[in-house]
Amino acid sequence: MADALTLSRPAARDAGAVAILGVSKTFHVENRTVHALDDVSLAIASGEFISIVGPSGCGKSTLLRFLAGLDRPDGGRITVDGEVVDRPSLKRGIVFQDHRLLPWLNVEENVALSLRSLAGAPADKKERVQSLIDLVGLTGFEKALPHELSGGMSQRAAIARGLAPRPPLLLLDEPLGALDSLTRSYLQDELLAIREREKSTVVMVTHDVEEAIYLSDRVVVMEPRPGRIAAIFDITSRRPRHRDDPDFVATRRKITDLLATR
Amino acid sequence: MAATNFSAASRSGIVARALVLPAALLLLWVLLDALGALKGGIVVSPSQVFGTAYEGFADGSLPGAALATLLRALTGWAIGALAGLVFGLILGLSGIARNLFDPSISSLRQIALFAWIPLLSAWLGNGEAMKITLIALGAFFPMALGTQAGCQNVPAPFREVGRVLELDRRATITAIIVPAALPSILVGLELSLNIAWLGTFGAEYLIGTGYINGMGDGLGAYLAAAREYARMDQVLLGVLFLALIGLGLDRLVLGFSRRLVSWRTP
Ligand SMILES: Nc1ncnc2c1ncn2[C@@H]1O[C@H](COP(=O)(O)OP(=O)(O)OP(=O)(O)O)[C@@H](O)[C@H]1O
Ligand SMILES: [Mg+2]
Repeated sequence: MADALTLSRPAARDAGAVAILGVSKTFHVENRTVHALDDVSLAIASGEFISIVGPSGCGKSTLLRFLAGLDRPDGGRITVDGEVVDRPSLKRGIVFQDHRLLPWLNVEENVALSLRSLAGAPADKKERVQSLIDLVGLTGFEKALPHELSGGMSQRAAIARGLAPRPPLLLLDEPLGALDSLTRSYLQDELLAIREREKSTVVMVTHDVEEAIYLSDRVVVMEPRPGRIAAIFDITSRRPRHRDDPDFVATRRKITDLLATR
Repeated sequence: MAATNFSAASRSGIVARALVLPAALLLLWVLLDALGALKGGIVVSPSQVFGTAYEGFADGSLPGAALATLLRALTGWAIGALAGLVFGLILGLSGIARNLFDPSISSLRQIALFAWIPLLSAWLGNGEAMKITLIALGAFFPMALGTQAGCQNVPAPFREVGRVLELDRRATITAIIVPAALPSILVGLELSLNIAWLGTFGAEYLIGTGYINGMGDGLGAYLAAAREYARMDQVLLGVLFLALIGLGLDRLVLGFSRRLVSWRTP
């Protein structure tokens, strides 16, 4: 699996197309059952940028874990580029909601770990690690341990780790949640640039409706109990978008109204 | 384990506080002696103990005994802890090994350390090999247990990182499982040293009969002889040495552990 990726070349075009078909999941905890996802279907084209918004507990992370191959749904199926997702792969990079840096490795080593299973010369890998650390603005913190970083810095290191193997499908679970607004809008533009450069498909969970509209081709709004898709908004306006465009404002209004009623 | 980086100032404060009780006892002892309350014979005077210590150092018997005990303890500990580490890793990493060995190890662990003496002396005699084996056996179990528990209790989120990065078995073990298990492994190491130190004294005291028939050496034998000759001054001195060296070893390992897991959030 891992050798299908390379260090330097952009991933092949038309990769990272996702089909989610009638996916359901119920969790049983002691004598409680939680209907986390109910009959969720969604087709994502290669190169598309999808945002998922919805109230806490509506199953966003659960869905992302299925896409990553960390868990399997009770019913339905998920394929990426025609293959059923049945285990994690470097072709589907995930940035977790909690940053999950390994506390015993410094920033550089944490990022480098994501290249461990890829072919490539150590020098090239080192260069790739450094370029990502620079990209997320952690230059100078290569040797810092996670407990020496702020929440936002940890989140950025985790983003660097997720991006390093150039996955054709990038799964982001509230990746920018802990960041200040300046770093946040800088990284939003970087995400768009990376998506453009590498032709990757991006599925991002966020609580920020503006962020979703600013970045996405489509915004998926989910509702809880049971977790399902309430509506999908196509965002067709050209980039770069502006938060005070009439289109932008109108769409934001629709989405926030929809979220308020759920 | 939990508290790490004390500043130098607060550390010396902690040392000072730790010395309050021993200092008070020492003062009381000196006072009682000065008041003439220690004439019975069961409690000896400070000057007597001091004199015995001086003699012991002059003829080399005391440092010699301490050194013999220390070497024996360290040898047994090294062997036992290393075996425990290897065994613990195997049990912690392999479900098959766990099914095969876990029940046996768990049963053997229930046997009190000194209950092995009859069996071991039947097999190995009462010489050095037997003592080292006993000490190693004592060190083995806590180390094996700590290592195994550490490997089995790696938090799921860390394991998932290994899965999504497609780490192979080797990389998963070296980059995730062993580092995550390290705090537990080090607790095992500390405990195994503690048991090895106690076991060394027991082995020296119980096996062979010290100076009487010339079969043993070390602080245990020193104490056995002291008791035999009713030398309270030597008994006190021996106990003091055991306590101080044991404490020193413990602190050494603790300091080493703290350095190794400095990545833990304080
Ligand atoms: N492993 C699990 N065991 C039991 N219940 C779970 C598990 N994972 C998720 N759930 C439940 O499933 C529901 C959806 O959880 P999920 O984490 O997907 O929500 P979310 O949309 O990501 O929420 P948030 O925005 O707060 O991150 C919740 O009610 C949660 O309690
Ligand atoms: Mg979530």
